[in-house]
Amino acid sequence: MSISSDTAAAGEEIAATDDYFTHVEGVGDIPRDIYKYVKSDPSGDLPRYSMHIVIQHFLVSTTFLVLAATGLALHFADVFWAPYLIALFGGADTARFVHRIAAYIMIFTSVYHIVTITAGSIQKILKNEFDYKRTQIPTPKDLFDLIHDVKYFLGIEPFRPKMEKFSYKQKLHYLAIIWGTIVLSVAGMALLFPDIIAKIFPEVMFKLRPQAPANGGFPALFQDLARLMHADEAVMALIVLAFWHLANVHIVPGRFPFQWTFLTGRITREHQIEEHFLEYIRNLEEMPEEREYMGNLLKEKQSEISQKMPVSSLQKPAEKGAVDVSTPETQEN
Amino acid sequence: MNSLGNIRTRATLLVLLFALLSISFYAEAADKDNCLMCHKYRFLGRIDESGKRINYNVSENLYDHTVHRNVSCRECHPYINKIPHDPVKEQVNCANLCHLTTPFSKERFSHERIIEVYKKSAHAPQPGDSAQLKEAKPNCKFCHLNPMYTRVSEERIDYHESLNRCLNCHQEKGVTQAYKHITHRLRHKTSRSPQEIVALCAKCHQNVELMKELNVSKRGITAVETYKQSIHGKSVTLGSEVAADCISCHASNKLHDIYKKDDRRATVEKKNLNKTCSQCHARTNSWFVQVAVHPSTEREDNPIVFFVNLSLSLALYGTVFGLVGLMLLEIFGRRKGGIKFLLRNGTSWRGKPKPKEKKTK
Repeated sequence: MSISSDTAAAGEEIAATDDYFTHVEGVGDIPRDIYKYVKSDPSGDLPRYSMHIVIQHFLVSTTFLVLAATGLALHFADVFWAPYLIALFGGADTARFVHRIAAYIMIFTSVYHIVTITAGSIQKILKNEFDYKRTQIPTPKDLFDLIHDVKYFLGIEPFRPKMEKFSYKQKLHYLAIIWGTIVLSVAGMALLFPDIIAKIFPEVMFKLRPQAPANGGFPALFQDLARLMHADEAVMALIVLAFWHLANVHIVPGRFPFQWTFLTGRITREHQIEEHFLEYIRNLEEMPEEREYMGNLLKEKQSEISQKMPVSSLQKPAEKGAVDVSTPETQEN
Repeated sequence: MNSLGNIRTRATLLVLLFALLSISFYAEAADKDNCLMCHKYRFLGRIDESGKRINYNVSENLYDHTVHRNVSCRECHPYINKIPHDPVKEQVNCANLCHLTTPFSKERFSHERIIEVYKKSAHAPQPGDSAQLKEAKPNCKFCHLNPMYTRVSEERIDYHESLNRCLNCHQEKGVTQAYKHITHRLRHKTSRSPQEIVALCAKCHQNVELMKELNVSKRGITAVETYKQSIHGKSVTLGSEVAADCISCHASNKLHDIYKKDDRRATVEKKNLNKTCSQCHARTNSWFVQVAVHPSTEREDNPIVFFVNLSLSLALYGTVFGLVGLMLLEIFGRRKGGIKFLLRNGTSWRGKPKPKEKKTK
């Protein structure tokens, strides 16, 4: 009894400080940790990516692997495995050709991505549905989310932050990809067309420093930097993708052994609620079938949840929820 | 009828036929002085005064496939006048005139013209050189090992541009064999692959101790190393056939006219760079030629590049360790919610969450 009263006291505090319940009209009060009780289809329950994004991810990931394999072998030419890797692509000259073709496809995909998100955004703006919170645009909230999340991991906060469709990690990664693609494309172009790139700098710059240093003028420095940046940026991208992105998406507990989102464009309910709670609330508003599911679940699990949670904090909202989950709606479907 | 039916005549004809068949034209041409009488023995050799073992064997089979197969021994070794000959003290002089004549001028052939080019180059001993430097400089035979030339595969030769006219008379099939001594030079400046050229030059130029003894500049000492860091060098290391090797930039089509960087005649001299680079880079310009072909990221050579490189590596480690650390923290942190690596009903939540340890704020 003493234990339960202990948790009750703590629970009260959670409910008070961290708004444990989120009220949704027509569904009820959704506890923050409802994701532990929901049912999920591994191939995804809720929409996350459009088909364009799935295609773009496929193109970018495959071309990236080809680019990394050919590029790494060329960059680390003197390492023992480089000749074997390069032989897979038919020798150095062919590998360079393959690298360029893959690069063009990747740049095409980037343009395709820009076109789709621009067109999609314009469409939404015209329909008056555009909400910057559901995009990759970074906001101050992301920083607070990061701090909140780290606090949760360290055991200071009781629950994970309520995040939007794209969490702080994803926004960071997206920004990194934008930066990386720009750097790699520009530097790659500088490596591929060194003669043209050297000439695009206006003569004014030459007049500013007529005495070119021993290492050459600005175009030469630009070429030097392009060489460095292209390789370093690519190695960084590869390491981050291999050790962070892949692990984060497929390996970490809760996501293991595989997330199908990148192929199906759909996210599991559990994941959506855990990491994209605010987006899930929007899903509830937009999707009647999801509202119905959650309403039923809340009724079903009420005893379990109320056992776990303090009576005082649960009682009021739970009652409200029971009323709000209107029976006609559930019968209808 | 009578004479042919005669068994004796038949036997004579048969013997003559065999004799005709058994004549080796190559060997006859090259070895008309019968040098191979002794030099065919594989272990013909001696140990000289310093204890060095020398083998004097000449493999007829190998020699018949070299470019010099039609040159007889004494054309290059004219100082040998009798058999058995005296110990040889003289060196072969590649500028000798030999009996071969060039097809149209009917002049006797000699390597003299290219030797004149070589003699002016940085690789020839010059009057001002120290004895040590003179000793270290390569002579003809240092680079030209006279290897057995390999056949060039027919697809590699650009028939339509180079050999179209040959094909007016010759069959395509036999061209590579008949023109073996020239076709390998139709692809590149040199018959060797770029990799072999780099290895050949690196034999001396990568020898840091030797280069230091000869008072070579710092850039000269690190030339091979920095080249191998360049895009040309990396491609060549992996077997590229089109990327520039040492000769591509440091010599013109004369191949032997290699001069020091500051020499007016050098292909890598500032004023000549445009022409040199334009061999491959069609749209070369005065700014492009400043781009470092031997890039160095060392602090004293290129401080900006050095610090950018340093900060990029710091960024790399910072990003990777930061993100992976965050992920590990996340794995650790999410465990208390009861999360496992296992699947149940399409989710990997399993079991009841651990009782939370509450902390008051």
